[in-house]
Amino acid sequence: MAEHTVQFDVAPAPVKVPTGTLLVEAARQAGVEITQPCGGQGRCGRCLVRIVEGTARRRSTLRLSAEDVKAGYALACQTVVEGDLVVSVPPQEKIERRLTTDRTAAAISVPAGYDPAVAQTIQRVRLTLTPPSMEDQTDDWSRLKAALRREAGIEEIRASLATIRQIGTTLREGGWQVTATLDTRSWDCPDCPAYLIDLRPGHIPDDTPLWGVAIDIGTTTVTVWLVDLLSGEVRAQVAEYNGQIARGEDVISRIIYASKSEESMAEIRELVLGTINELIETACKRTKSTPADIVKATVAGNSTMIHLLLGIPAESIRLTPFVTAINHVPTLRAWEAGIGIHPEATVDCLPGVASYVGADITAGVLSSGMDDTDKVTLFMDIGTNGETVLGSHEWLVTCACSAGPAFEGAGVMHGMRATRGAIEEVWVNGETFEPTYRVIGGVKPRGLCGSGLISLLAELFLTGVVDKGGHIKLGLDTPRVREGEHGPEYVVAWAEETQTGQDIVISYVDIDNLLRAKAAIYAGFTVLADSVGIPLESVEQVLIGGSFGKYINVEKAIQIGLLPDMPWERFHFLGNTSVRGAYLALLDARSRARVRDIASRMTYIELSADNTFYEAFMSALFLPHTDISRFPTVGAAILKR
Amino acid sequence: MPVEIPKDQWPGEVRTVTIGATAEEGGTRSRVVTVGGEKTLPFMHFEAETPNPPVVAIEIKDRRPDDWSPLLLDVWGDVANDPAAWAKAAEEAGADLIELMFSLTDAEGNPITPESAVTTVRAVLEATGLPLLVFGPGQAEVDNELLVPVAEATKGERIVLGICEDKNYRTIVAAALANDHLVSARTPMDVNLAKQLNILITDMGLPPDRVLMDPTTGALGYGIEYGYSVMERLRLAALQGDAMTQFPMIVTPGFEAWKAKESKVGEGVPESWGDWEGRAINWETLTAITLIEAGADIVVLRHPESVRRIKAAIEELMTVPEMA
Repeated sequence: MAEHTVQFDVAPAPVKVPTGTLLVEAARQAGVEITQPCGGQGRCGRCLVRIVEGTARRRSTLRLSAEDVKAGYALACQTVVEGDLVVSVPPQEKIERRLTTDRTAAAISVPAGYDPAVAQTIQRVRLTLTPPSMEDQTDDWSRLKAALRREAGIEEIRASLATIRQIGTTLREGGWQVTATLDTRSWDCPDCPAYLIDLRPGHIPDDTPLWGVAIDIGTTTVTVWLVDLLSGEVRAQVAEYNGQIARGEDVISRIIYASKSEESMAEIRELVLGTINELIETACKRTKSTPADIVKATVAGNSTMIHLLLGIPAESIRLTPFVTAINHVPTLRAWEAGIGIHPEATVDCLPGVASYVGADITAGVLSSGMDDTDKVTLFMDIGTNGETVLGSHEWLVTCACSAGPAFEGAGVMHGMRATRGAIEEVWVNGETFEPTYRVIGGVKPRGLCGSGLISLLAELFLTGVVDKGGHIKLGLDTPRVREGEHGPEYVVAWAEETQTGQDIVISYVDIDNLLRAKAAIYAGFTVLADSVGIPLESVEQVLIGGSFGKYINVEKAIQIGLLPDMPWERFHFLGNTSVRGAYLALLDARSRARVRDIASRMTYIELSADNTFYEAFMSALFLPHTDISRFPTVGAAILKR
Repeated sequence: MPVEIPKDQWPGEVRTVTIGATAEEGGTRSRVVTVGGEKTLPFMHFEAETPNPPVVAIEIKDRRPDDWSPLLLDVWGDVANDPAAWAKAAEEAGADLIELMFSLTDAEGNPITPESAVTTVRAVLEATGLPLLVFGPGQAEVDNELLVPVAEATKGERIVLGICEDKNYRTIVAAALANDHLVSARTPMDVNLAKQLNILITDMGLPPDRVLMDPTTGALGYGIEYGYSVMERLRLAALQGDAMTQFPMIVTPGFEAWKAKESKVGEGVPESWGDWEGRAINWETLTAITLIEAGADIVVLRHPESVRRIKAAIEELMTVPEMA
């Protein structure tokens, strides 16, 4: 048989191998270790190499784009030597960045052309007042107003009694030099006089940040962005589980708890305020600022979260005919909302549409820009409530379903948020069933986050460790599968590899929660698309929001039947769209107006009106779906097994 | 004026499943029972032929049951103490199939052992020439413990083993696969769940012509409409070409009807309810005939009089009317 010379750039000497040898085998002979987490089945794409010279036959190009192939990239485990070759082995980090299915969340950037003078409703002005005298006995308030008129062109102002009480002292303390912070265009009353939020002695330098916060209250996760309103930059991003989880995992149980008594309502409100205020303090510590310097907040969240934040009874959300007390709350002051920032700070809650389509979704649509595109777009916010919006600049329909907190790492035994120590991606070897994983921060793992759970479930399914019903098969030849406390389980990481000193496992109960979550989301958007007669194939782009951390692996999400089986390039992962929408509204009065417009344009489809959703849900409660013809690429991948 | 009756052409059909094996086929049965093969909705003889009529299985237990109605125990009499004798009596009562259902414990409360289960099945096979369905008591671990040795001891008989459920199917399917038996797959009244379990079972490599599906039902007055609707939708899906619903359906109207208050209770009920025994038999018969109309291929009954009536009704339903 003919022999060929293969030279690897990282190997000292070339090797000679016969025709038909796999590149990985040639590499082994050359002393080059190429990792194959999936066991050489061409699934994970981690054995990517580049053929610099010569040609080789690629048995599979599943993980490669056409450009990749053109540039010489090949999977070492799927490539057969048929001639002399020179092969370059890229470092692992580079490979990870090249993988075509990983969708990294769009980086946060200040909206192009942000000009606080035009867009920002908060203004900070330095004033120099004429001191009073026996000749000029004008009252302090009028004196301040005169200075504002003269030096900032602000005609009329209003202020709270608390602020008015302080004016005299502040003016004198500053020697009649003060800095005033005003809200010049209130959302609920644009023509009202400017609202005096803060008055400080002396002149604050121009380069001092003007602080605002964007808050997203998720049922499971609360996120806070601390923003400099002058530059528009996000200076700190923090997130934590919502303290209300202790009183129920979903909105329904929270509503039931809150409606038990005045005390329980107060408690549930305190719990979320506690989470928000701690997050604000953490963000301030990171930026060496103080919460009292924050003069504006915008809040996004589902309707229940907004109600409970403000102590508004939410019982009617739960009961037919499912109405909210209020969809768009008027502008509030921080002290009445209970948010631990400047007490007079403006608090704008973004508008919701219906009981189960709240401000998190209007914010998400704003953030995704789907209200401004010609393309038929599917936007989904994958969180505890799976909300979906379908449409374009011409029309928007929306629905919501309860998915549970599994994708946020809650309600799963070893689940966690997408932070340091979370396993965010897993590969399972198809022959040995041994896993390889990647941990956020590159440290020892503590648990699995949403993207880690999706990827783990997909791998276990494709390697046959779990069946289509999600059941773990006992009796496989591996110690990784065993009978655990909650039935059969798979060990992802042994105790000695973990931070906690305990095995990290996934059990059938966890898988069942994941299946229910993914089935609810899949059923939600399929029923929504059906309701307007749009076949899923004609959706031109799918925008995904959610607290997955930095990225989501589209291929894995398709394999478990969470996302529809479509070309990967149609998917775009936007990260937490709810907090981003709140951030846009925080910065720009035009965005704020747009989110209100979005809310008024969305048509809400009630899924509980008939049993269509239930049918779709039951049929999606399978891997990847009861009707495999909806997932042709997954069907093909199973056949290869 | 001649009336043209419109006819539907269905792209799909129900699979044909044969239960039991004769000596030639590697078993010991005197005859086999073939079900399925429908090409149209039940008894639409003008549209397509119904090649195999619905059949009746009689349910017997491995020992005298503690929880059966005295009406049933009276009518069967002493044979209920001996599964072999009971099987013989059931054959004489007109059964096409015998469904042997194991109890969880013997009369003294001791667990049924795998050895005694094998002995019982062997005795029943001796006593009757009819094909058999053998079901465990319905607890996953016990079912697997009993059914595996039974399957091995009766290799080649093409017995229907059951009951496969979503959470416990792998062991039973593997036992059927290795020993040339069939399985019955039960799901709780849901089209999708039925389909999913069928996929899981056939994914293990069991040929689809060795699978029966039990969509579960309720007795007359206890959710039969829901069961009917699920069966009807399963059958429509099958006829429309959905391969994973094209299995013959088995249902247990005997078990369901004899749970109903109307059958169970003889005293303290309104006088207008009439004679207890007549009512109980009517309840079982009406439940069964409704399910046959919904597309059932096998009905499992308990009372011999119900069997007689249902057999007669099937014969009538299978008679192809003369078309003018």
